[in-house]
Amino acid sequence: MIPSDHFVRFYNEVFKFLDAQNGLPAYYEEIGRHQEQHCLKEFREKGLQGVYDYYVKIRKEENCDLDLILNGHELILKMNKCPSLSKALDNDAGACRKYCLHCPGWTGGIYRKAGLYQVYAVMGLDNPQCCEWIYDDLKQAEAKYLELAAVTPADELFISFPRSAPETMKDSETDLQMP
Amino acid sequence: MLRYQENNELHRDFHGTTNTTLNYIAEHYGVDALKMILRKTGHDVYKSIREKLAKGDASELIEHLNWFFYRERGKYRLSVSGNEIVFEVLECPAVRHLRKLNLKPSPYMCLQTSELNAGMCEGTPWHSEVKVIGEGHCIQTFRKEADHDPE
Repeated sequence: MIPSDHFVRFYNEVFKFLDAQNGLPAYYEEIGRHQEQHCLKEFREKGLQGVYDYYVKIRKEENCDLDLILNGHELILKMNKCPSLSKALDNDAGACRKYCLHCPGWTGGIYRKAGLYQVYAVMGLDNPQCCEWIYDDLKQAEAKYLELAAVTPADELFISFPRSAPETMKDSETDLQMP
Repeated sequence: MLRYQENNELHRDFHGTTNTTLNYIAEHYGVDALKMILRKTGHDVYKSIREKLAKGDASELIEHLNWFFYRERGKYRLSVSGNEIVFEVLECPAVRHLRKLNLKPSPYMCLQTSELNAGMCEGTPWHSEVKVIGEGHCIQTFRKEADHDPE
């Protein structure tokens, strides 16, 4: 048995293998489908409050240093110290360079199904921090994306929604950004 | 002493993600690929256990088995005698949690254990075997070659 405490280090080896096969996106989709049983119903029925409640549980069980800020149509998940990346880094096998991409990878599809919009800033492999903004209003999500895109490297910023207002954006910004 | 100190909250739902991953890799890349990943995990992640086994020191392996099954409230018997460690899992915590989640345990659940254990023992005088008795019940044996007594 892989102890649940050590799952992350197994996951990390799986990422290394799949990355070499160009197989990460399809795997994220599979994990997303699996995770739906834990959270999709709550996200759909309760919206941002459902996401907030889910992450209160995750924050405890996964020992996250995580701030959750629910403010009207916006929920901010500010990860001050990610336990998952911390374990991947504290690991004699070494961390996969794409480790952080699994989070936006598997969560994006669930938010789409729940009618929510995610903007996700990963902050680099060696830094176990990230910030996620989730909205139940597309225009607010697009506005946040534009605000962040101006100051964030493109490979650190992900969104879960296709752009619906290209006239407000540059031509190069009209493609869906997914890991 | 354990290389990875884990003392805080448990997120047992990771067993569900492991189960999904075992099936996914086997179905999309084949059982040999799954074996390779598991063996590498045992070998590289548990480098500290492996390097001690190579020196004839099984202390971290014993502590690892005892601590993580205790932490997850597994039912088990652990006996150590001479050059043999026998770890009988009477109720596997991973299988128990999968059942709680209404998930069917992957046919590769026990392969997970046998390949991890083999990875930990690779290049050492120790050999491992896993005998599956029934669902969630197995006997894991680690045996050191007789002609590799501690220096």
